Amino acid sequence: MIAFAIQMAASLAAVLALGWLARWMGLGGDTRIADQAHAIRIAHDALYGFAGVDAAIDRAGYSALVRDAQARHVLIMVKGNKFVTRLMTPPIEGRLDHKLLTIDLREPDCPPVTLNLGDKAQYWASGLRHIPVSKV
Amino acid sequence: MEKLPDPVQYAIPAFVALIIIEMIWAKRRAPDKYEPKDTLNSLLFGFGSTVAGALFGAVMIGIAYSAYALRPFTIPWTWWAWGLCFILDDLAYYVFHRSAHRIRWFWASHVNHHSSQHYNLSTALRQSWTGFFAVGFIFRLPLAFIGFHPAMLLFCGALNLIYQFWIHTESIRRMPRWFEAVMNTPSHHRVHHAVNPRYLDRNYAGTFIVWDKMFGTFTPEVGDEPIRYGIVKQLGNFNLLWGVFHEWVGIFQDLWRAPFKAKLGYLIGPPGWSHDGSRDTSDMIRERWESAIDPQVRSSRAKSRDVDEHTGVSTTLDTNGV
Repeated sequence: MIAFAIQMAASLAAVLALGWLARWMGLGGDTRIADQAHAIRIAHDALYGFAGVDAAIDRAGYSALVRDAQARHVLIMVKGNKFVTRLMTPPIEGRLDHKLLTIDLREPDCPPVTLNLGDKAQYWASGLRHIPVSKV
Repeated sequence: MEKLPDPVQYAIPAFVALIIIEMIWAKRRAPDKYEPKDTLNSLLFGFGSTVAGALFGAVMIGIAYSAYALRPFTIPWTWWAWGLCFILDDLAYYVFHRSAHRIRWFWASHVNHHSSQHYNLSTALRQSWTGFFAVGFIFRLPLAFIGFHPAMLLFCGALNLIYQFWIHTESIRRMPRWFEAVMNTPSHHRVHHAVNPRYLDRNYAGTFIVWDKMFGTFTPEVGDEPIRYGIVKQLGNFNLLWGVFHEWVGIFQDLWRAPFKAKLGYLIGPPGWSHDGSRDTSDMIRERWESAIDPQVRSSRAKSRDVDEHTGVSTTLDTNGV
């Protein structure tokens, strides 16, 4: 029993050491959404068949909204150095505060996302009211 | 002769060393191949899996011995039996693995291994905590029942697991042609971890890729298409417990909400199945992709599949412009 406990403690120490090493070596990098074309491509890659026609990028490039011709919306979020996408289905919980649009998908693994969309925030906030129920 | 060491215990130092070597490679060549939070998560998955194995492993071994007690004859403890055991264990792994991707109950456990968006050696250690609960071990029981000693089965299974470690890397592009034809390789297994429509639910092999070629589930890696790893609906955060249990939570929520007649479908249907068609299975995504590509390319894909099936020769498709 003691030997097992020592073995587990050593394993956990090795796990933490490797996790620390990855950080210390500076692996990962800083991933952002570069522009509209980038956002549209991310949405298409993640949700095959989703053809975006317009996109709004958060000022910092950490999140974006992409819309297709049927007014379906995809929310893109940065996770680590990769992207996570969600096809939004109504009802959408959105909150507009001047240039900031906050979207809550009410999913356990997705906290509310605040996008700084500048002058476009109001336009995209109103678009969220017309999202159809659909899948890709 | 029935007491064998656990080869995985001896391999762990090598696993750690190889991960460090791959990190150094990533630092020099491609720092984005690792993400510290993802790496820590994957390794904690592996640690938790070891704890779960220690808690429930004895029960699984007991069940294997119960099946062995019912054997019609005894397969001797000799060299050819070891070879045969390893090959048949790998076939059993193929059947398990294919089921783990096609039946949501088994997927709920196996999804843990696929939920990283990265593909590196730490991903190999991203193992399930709930394998015992999902009873995935039943796929190996027939081998005990036909007379392979459980100790031999455990040893061969461990060797299979060790083999699969090194193929979780992007640092190796291709192995020699003869090796790619017979063995599972980094290239073949990258396809398996990909979520690109063309690659969904392909290359289930453990050690020998020939099973996929025999049973029509083989797809070669296409050089000009960047691979995206993970699962169709990527996890939104790095929460370890959510990562471990999210699909089980989803199953129980679906069972609770679904009409009575549809409940079984959420257990034994493919991942993504829904009674109202509101979600996508991997087959649906693939069909959408296939219907969108050029018919000529589709035809050439079908031809190359025929070549694969009849000759076992691996082909790479020209799919420029798809």
